[in-house]
Amino acid sequence: MAHQVIGVGTPQVNAREKVLGHAIYAGDIKLPGMLHAGVVRSPYAHARIVSIDTSEAKSLSGVHLVLTGEDTPTRLSGVIKKEHRILATGKVRFVGEEVVAVLAENEEIVQDALDLIQIEYEPLPALLDPDDAKVSSISVHEDSKSDKLNNIAKEFFIERGDVDAAFEQADAVYEATYDVHSQYPGYLEPMATVAQKGGDQRITVWAASHSPFQARQRLAEALDMPDTNIRVVQPLIGGSFGAKNVEECNSLIAAFLASKTTRPVRFVNSRLDDFLGARSSVPEKIHLKMGVDGDGMILAKEVNIIGDCGAYMGLAAEVLHVSVMRSDNMHRVENVRSRASLVYTNNPPKGAFRGFGGTQMTFAVNSHMAMLAEMVGVDPLEMQKRNVTQTGDTTVHGWKIGSGGLLDCLDWVANNIKWQEKQKRLKEAGIYRRGLGVGAGIHVSGNGAMGWDGATINLKMSTEGGVILTTGETDVGQGSTTMFCQVVAQELGIPLSQVTVLTPDTDTAAFGLGSIASRTTVLAGNAALKAAKECKGKLLALASAHFGVEENKLVIEDGEIFVASERANQQISYGDLAKMHIFTADGEALQVTASFDSKPTIDPTTLYGNASAAYSFAAQTVEVEVDTETGQFEILNTCLADDCGKALNPLAVHGQGLGAAAQAIGWAMYENMELQEGALMNGNFADYTMPTADSLPDIKTGIIESNDPNGPFGAKGASETAIVPGAGAIANAIYDAVGVRINSLPITPENVLEGLRAQNAGQTRA
Amino acid sequence: MRGKPVRDFEYLEPNSISDASRLLAEYDDDCRLIAGGTALILALRQRMLAPTHLISLAKIESMSGISVSEKGELRIGSRTKHAEIASSDLVQSGWPMLADMASCLANPQVRNQGTIGGNLCYADPATDPPGCLLALDAVITLVSSRGERQLPIDKFIIDFFETAIEADEVLAEIIVPKATCNSSAHIRHLRIAAEHRPMLNLSIALDHDGDQCRDIRFVIGAAVPVCSRITSCEEFLKGKVITSALAAEAGDIVASEMNAISDMRGTDEYRRDIARVVTRRALSDLFGLKEG
Repeated sequence: MAHQVIGVGTPQVNAREKVLGHAIYAGDIKLPGMLHAGVVRSPYAHARIVSIDTSEAKSLSGVHLVLTGEDTPTRLSGVIKKEHRILATGKVRFVGEEVVAVLAENEEIVQDALDLIQIEYEPLPALLDPDDAKVSSISVHEDSKSDKLNNIAKEFFIERGDVDAAFEQADAVYEATYDVHSQYPGYLEPMATVAQKGGDQRITVWAASHSPFQARQRLAEALDMPDTNIRVVQPLIGGSFGAKNVEECNSLIAAFLASKTTRPVRFVNSRLDDFLGARSSVPEKIHLKMGVDGDGMILAKEVNIIGDCGAYMGLAAEVLHVSVMRSDNMHRVENVRSRASLVYTNNPPKGAFRGFGGTQMTFAVNSHMAMLAEMVGVDPLEMQKRNVTQTGDTTVHGWKIGSGGLLDCLDWVANNIKWQEKQKRLKEAGIYRRGLGVGAGIHVSGNGAMGWDGATINLKMSTEGGVILTTGETDVGQGSTTMFCQVVAQELGIPLSQVTVLTPDTDTAAFGLGSIASRTTVLAGNAALKAAKECKGKLLALASAHFGVEENKLVIEDGEIFVASERANQQISYGDLAKMHIFTADGEALQVTASFDSKPTIDPTTLYGNASAAYSFAAQTVEVEVDTETGQFEILNTCLADDCGKALNPLAVHGQGLGAAAQAIGWAMYENMELQEGALMNGNFADYTMPTADSLPDIKTGIIESNDPNGPFGAKGASETAIVPGAGAIANAIYDAVGVRINSLPITPENVLEGLRAQNAGQTRA
Repeated sequence: MRGKPVRDFEYLEPNSISDASRLLAEYDDDCRLIAGGTALILALRQRMLAPTHLISLAKIESMSGISVSEKGELRIGSRTKHAEIASSDLVQSGWPMLADMASCLANPQVRNQGTIGGNLCYADPATDPPGCLLALDAVITLVSSRGERQLPIDKFIIDFFETAIEADEVLAEIIVPKATCNSSAHIRHLRIAAEHRPMLNLSIALDHDGDQCRDIRFVIGAAVPVCSRITSCEEFLKGKVITSALAAEAGDIVASEMNAISDMRGTDEYRRDIARVVTRRALSDLFGLKEG
């Protein structure tokens, strides 16, 4: 084929600048006269601020501003609920809450000034357990107080079918409670912002936010300014995994300080600042009951979830919304009942994280599936296969599955780990025992729960035939910049290097929701494809007029248009056509703007309807070896298959699969935010042990291409789906090896050993 | 890792240990020695320490290098990096447990930057060198402008993050006597693979004749405040023909005798459980016994 870039493994177009250290991240921006910021954080989970003495800090040479909550606008901000001020006023609600901000000549003076600030607190009883908080007379937010729902931030109730009757029909019913913990996003780049107020009083914010327009809206609320007075520019981002979306407070504080001075402001989180300030994933307690028939077909499912959003709701309500519904859609289940409460506590606030609530609930569901399979005597992998949603299905919640590759994913991970062969081996009775586990997962490609879900792309052709792409849709490191280049280069038949994707800038880009819900490839990719087609249409029309021949007599090759019959001398380049456009269209450049809207159909009351343009699936198998004397376990092999519709860039999809599997392993086995009285005890990478290269197994990743009818070239979202099945697969493998079922994460050697001892004690008694 | 900004300091580079000692005496609490800096730089960034002067050991040639004396002792300059110990032919051939320990310590970054002397002076309990050196009966040489003295490891590291070093002293060298054991092992036990610090380690220097234990130095570290010999276990094993049952019994002795600590890497109870298993396994390996 003459020109094929779609489906070809393509290194990220900005990889070179990143590895050479030339890439400009927010923290790299240096402006003349730039000042540095820092914050004092609350040491208490819940306390009244009695007094703040900033006089000594203010008198320190080199200190420009010392501001407290009283200096911040009274208008509240928040993505869903307006409940947050830039700095705490009146009381602090979690350990790490920002109380005083300092602006000084350099970071050393900032630190000296922070040390001089005296704050007197009156500690209040802290609500650290969501079960307690739910019934406590103490309120995290006074204004949320009502007679019965003291700290309830949000509730869900969904019922479809006849759940009770279906449980009556079940041959096996299993009930268990799962406790899933919070995971710190652990990106390389801690959150960073540079902000500057111009002479026109507008504030420009260079922030590592991957939803620039949502960030602008939130800044407008928090600063109580018109949104057009704020410009958000997104530099390169060094990872986010959801946390830099629109909940972090670093950019709010930087922009607030910039609004109070004429000099630029730089605020870069230290790693400890980031651990304390970042929104980590939502911890949930999940009580799940499922019933199956004798063949292992799921008849009914009932779940009750309590989510802890910490002191502020942020996006946690939407995360819980996903936990409540999403996993139902990967099975052909007809009877489901879900209840969930999101509860305020004095723990650090929680929010968006790769997988967005799907990971939490799916751990429970995959664990349950293995237990039910055992109860009815069906192989757990076979039981997963029997229940999967397939192409053409409309799920229990009204999701229309345009392409369902979960069955193929399950087959791929089974074959690659040699499931059948290894299942047949005899269970060892020795010290080291091996087991196999499987998990499945579903994810969206955009989410209509936000009310609307679309994207806009503008393409402008230069007079040399290059293309400038402008959009408010963003690359957070996942690879959308490369994807845009591929889509446009493929459609226009030009090299990748001739497509330039601009940094998102709210002053110039069309509105975009940004990189959330794995939406960029399907929504913005479709918009880019549409724009490229329209651009090609304009080029052909111009060439047709120029040559005086019908468009169907024209051929495109290497950025030039030929007359089909006279290729030798009848040709014109894209650049010349673009020039011609300027001359003939009153000076307007050759440009097109195209939008794509997935037209979700979710009913806001019942939450029934098609949520997304397409749905991705993933499956993972894990083989572990358990040391029955120490409780330690090791993943010997793991295989992960991602049904991303069509891998526009297989290299990127494999990379995302590896990263997702590693993050799932970290969550399930290694990482643990240790809180004491609401205070994080291990806010550094020596003690918060993310997986390193030498603590990860060889991960085998596969791509399943189910070719979705709604995705560009058949593509669906990749990379978030892949984090969903891991934790359940690991727990199931441990259970298969030694018969110990661990329902709380992380799975620790201590817990496994305790389980083994309980098992032995039981056997001794029997 | 981006830490809090480090306060300004003067960087001094003396050419001899006695000059370094004089500077230490002069600046006292306002100064710190720096060798590899792996621990110190973190402390400076966190502002747990804010010295006005850093005294670098980089220019003191006598503090580096590995040699064997005429008496057959191993002499390791305290500025020697862990990776250098791990790859030294002298260490590998005469004190294989030490080379093995250094090759697994922490992580590659620490092995290639951190020094053996810095490690000992920091006295972090969750590390490997002190226990290994104690099992090998090593002594360290402390030098000041006033003179020098030698201390065995367990008289040098006296508590959790505490040593016997005087304010003007520099740890110059580590001396390991000619090995009298004919078998040895350092076992570094990580609770989870993502940890780089052990929750428990054992260092065993064994002199045996087949199944018979003639002499043994058995040291436990990382699971206790300061690495220490378990003499009751040593006495129990000495002179005996070691069987699987005896190895298991030794594990029980260690588990009950150790002064186990509880922290984020494990409870005291779990550490005892692990000590019991790891002791039995280590002895079984050293004596070539069949596990079971």
